[in-house]
This record gives sequence, structure tokens and C-alpha cells, in this order.
Amino acid sequence: MKSYLFAVTLFCVVLAAGCAHKPSVVSDPAPSAAAPPAQQVMAALKAEQSPAPLPEVSAKTVSGNLDDYQDIEDPDKGREAEKITIADPLEPFNRAMYHFNDKLYFWVLKPVAQGYSKAVPEPARVGVSNFYTNLSFPIRFVNSLLQANFAGAASELGRFIINTVWGIGGLLDPASSKEINLSKQTVDFGQTLGVYGVGQGFYIHWPLLGPSSPRDTLGTVGDVFLYPSIYFGPWYVWAGSRVYERVNDTSLQIGDYESMKEASIDPYVAVRDAYVQYRLKMIKHKGGPPPAGVSGLLEKD
Amino acid sequence: MHTKTLKVMVISIVIMLTIQGTAAASGPFGPPQPVSRPAGGLHTGFGYWLQEDKFKNNEEYISRQQQIYSELGYGFQKNWDLYARVGLSGQKLFDAFSPTTTATTTSKNDFSENWKFFSTLGAKGFYPLHPAFGIGAFVQGTYYFSDFTDNVTGIQSGAPFTVELGLKNLWDVSAGIGFQATIPWGINLYIGPYLYYAEAKVSPSANITGLALTSGETILRNNTVFGGFAGIDAPLSKGFRLQIEGKYADRLSGGAAVTYSY
Repeated sequence: MKSYLFAVTLFCVVLAAGCAHKPSVVSDPAPSAAAPPAQQVMAALKAEQSPAPLPEVSAKTVSGNLDDYQDIEDPDKGREAEKITIADPLEPFNRAMYHFNDKLYFWVLKPVAQGYSKAVPEPARVGVSNFYTNLSFPIRFVNSLLQANFAGAASELGRFIINTVWGIGGLLDPASSKEINLSKQTVDFGQTLGVYGVGQGFYIHWPLLGPSSPRDTLGTVGDVFLYPSIYFGPWYVWAGSRVYERVNDTSLQIGDYESMKEASIDPYVAVRDAYVQYRLKMIKHKGGPPPAGVSGLLEKD
Repeated sequence: MHTKTLKVMVISIVIMLTIQGTAAASGPFGPPQPVSRPAGGLHTGFGYWLQEDKFKNNEEYISRQQQIYSELGYGFQKNWDLYARVGLSGQKLFDAFSPTTTATTTSKNDFSENWKFFSTLGAKGFYPLHPAFGIGAFVQGTYYFSDFTDNVTGIQSGAPFTVELGLKNLWDVSAGIGFQATIPWGINLYIGPYLYYAEAKVSPSANITGLALTSGETILRNNTVFGGFAGIDAPLSKGFRLQIEGKYADRLSGGAAVTYSY
């Protein structure tokens, strides 16, 4: 009983610390990406690598007076404002876990994914990825509702019906076609907590799971209960399914992580910062603006 | 090039009309021209079909199947199409348990069981004679993976009985030709004759006097092998199409499907 109370108290402290560490600055919307943390990081890194548009300079004649330069913005001003930090009191532990995951990737996951990609053609692997994405529909649908993003929830419901019925159980993704254009919502329970004002707290790099925070760790637990396969069969079937999903997803993005490592002075810091920025962007934009298809359906002619 | 295609289609039609495959006549045939995009590609569909037939050995029985199915097909440049369906079907055989003597009474008259898997495979070819008119041929077969079974209780000469009847290895095969006309708004109207063969093995658990279908294992076959079909295939929006089709061979059957072309 004491240990239970201690855990609850610790959790409350963590959440409170999270609120205290809630950053106030966020940047532009992130591109849609899959839910697993590693993929989120890669998506965030890709967004970071794209050059930010330079501020427009007014075409005013410069006379040489200081006043003439007042309208010209400093290109680095915006970049400084977008700098986001997160408390990292567990850095030694996190670095150790980062290296563990790094070795796990290079020694196990990548070779397995490479062998798998040689045995299974890419269209089939994309189909498997589509299937798992369709299967996790409840997570995106429920969290869209919890965030009062009703257009997003409608989009997700439409995607699920269309992809299940006309996409052969979700193996194909007709809902993302140019004509239907119902885009996937990038939402999860951790994001929902963030939308309700729960701070992210400090940085945790979990073994196997990757970058996270106390808020997002709690969110992951919530998401697990919305994942349908947990209710079918014993735990090892679900676990095996998740491992296969990860191997399949990795086979579709071999090289992304390697590129990020090569481009970073300190990959650990790069992963941490990218993760934090990406999560903040998700929270600010609630999974992104309503999909064009949904907007079109809701708009009056 | 067109002459060669026409020759291939004529030979295909002759083969289809003269050789019996190992499959059944349930499910729609669809428009003669594949519903894929002009450049070809995948198409999927979801539909409902109500199939009625008359089966016979010594007696005639009306059969009714209600099917829901999912379809996946691949069209080759709007001229050739291969497709497969997987679905669930119910089966009713009216008066299968109706006694033929007054000494026998039964708790019910009709054989009925639901939700059995079936699969359909089909192929079709289309030859456009005019931008708005063309002719096509198809062959299609269906096989039921599971047997249908139903029980009946009754009294025969004062003695109670229970008997289980199984409908096993139900399959059918159809082949035919279709004529298609395209009217404004991209709507396709189609009509044509077909022939088909269907059979199922009847397997009773006991021989009950007064119940015709319990006198040993027998084969039920369709009563009429020729029929006609007609339908409409209309574009909806965003790549979806609606198909409504009916066919007649002894009994009227019909259904509807919504397809999507990639």
C-alpha cells in the first residue's frame, strides 16, 4: 500500500514538475508522422532540416541613416525565439539508454529489417504499414474527440470506413488518394494531455521505446488500451505483432536515422531536441489543420 | 491489333460456353468493361447480393443465398480484368424438411444456416466497337469453403427423430457475354445472356422415411442453365462507382455494389 501511495505521489510530483517546465515557445506545424517516438523524432528532424523562409525585406531606398534599417528584421531573431529546451535531470541514464537503443538498432533491428525488406517487396510492406495504421484508428479517433477536434474525428472515421471496406481491410489506403484526400490525424493521448495543459516534464529516454517524457509515457499507456489487438489473444501475440510492426516500419525508413546521426554533433541532443519540438508542435496544432477533404465536405457550396 | 483481340475474345467465349469449370453462378457479373482507370490498375468493391435458384434431384427446391462480399480486381487498360471476391453467405433451402408422407411430421420445413465463407474468381474481356458501345465476355466461379448444416426434429410413425442435413461442396460456374452502352454522365448500361452450372452434395446423418433429402447422399443441381442479366454502372464521386444488377434464370436475383478504382 505504501509503495502504491509513493508511486502516486511521485507521479503527481512528476506532473507538477511537468507543468512547471512547460515551454512557452513553439514553432511551425510539424509534418504528419506515425506515432512511435523514433518516427516522431525523424519527422521532426526532417522538418528542422528544411530551410526556414527568410523574412521579407521591404524594398525601401536605403539612405544610410539608422532609421532606414528599422524595418529590416534580423534573420536569426526568429530562430532564437524558436529554441526550445527541456529539463534533463536524468541525462546520464538517458544517454546510457540512448546508446543502448542505438546499438539495438544497428545490431538487431536494422539487420532484421534489411533481411525482411529483401524477402518482402516494398508494396507488401507498405500494405502492412497501412494495415497497422488502420488498426490504430481508435487512438486517433478518441483523442481527436477528446481534443474537441470534430473535423479530425470525422476524417478519421471516414478514413477507417473507406480503408477497411474499399482498402481490403486497411492494406490499401484509398482515403489518402488525391480525390478523397482524408489525411491521417497525428494525435495520441500524450498530446491530448498536453492540449489540456499538462506539461511535458523532464526528458526520459526509455530503453526500447525511445524518447519520451512523464506526460507522454502516461499517454503511451493510455494509447495501449485503445489499440484493438491488445484485446485479442494472449499478451505475446500482441507483443509479437508490435515487434513485427516495428520491423516493418523500420524496413521502410532505413537510412533516416543514419543520416540524422551523421548530421549531428551530438546525436543524443539532436534526438532530444527534435522530440521536444515535435511534441510541442503537435500540441499546438492538435494534429494539424483540418484535412482539405473534410473542410471541403463541411463547407457550403 | 483489334482483330487479334477480337479473335482471342471469340475463342475465350467458345471455351467458356463449352467447358465446365469447377466453381458457382452466384454474385453479380458487373459491367463488361472493367471498372479500372483508363490506364489500368486496381479496383476494390463491397456489395450485397441476393441469389435465388431452383435446385433439383427428384424434387425441386428453391434456394436463397444472401451474400455480402469484398472484391479486389486488376484491370488491364479497360479491356481485361481479373477479380476475386471473398464474402459471407447465408443459405436457405425451402421445403428441404417438408414431409412427403402424413406419417412423418417435422419441427420446421426449411433448411437454413448463415455466415459461411465463400470465394469467387472471375475474368472478363471487353472489345469496344464504338466509343459508346462494346461487347464483352466473362467467366466466373464461386466456391464455398464451409459446409452448410442444419438439424430438424420430428416424429416418424410415432417415433421421435433428429436428423442433420449437410449441404457440402457447394460451387457454381457462369460464363456469358455482355453488351454495354455508355450514356451521358458516364453511366454504363449492360445486358447479356449467360449460362451456368451449380451443384451441392446433400449429406444426411440418417435416413428418415418421408423426408426426401435424407435418403442417402445425393447431388442437387440447378434446374435451368440459361439466364439473362442486366445492370447499370454509374459514377458517384471521388472515384467511387455504383453497380446495380439483376439476373434471371428460373428465379430473379439481384444486388448492388460500390466500387473504387485506384
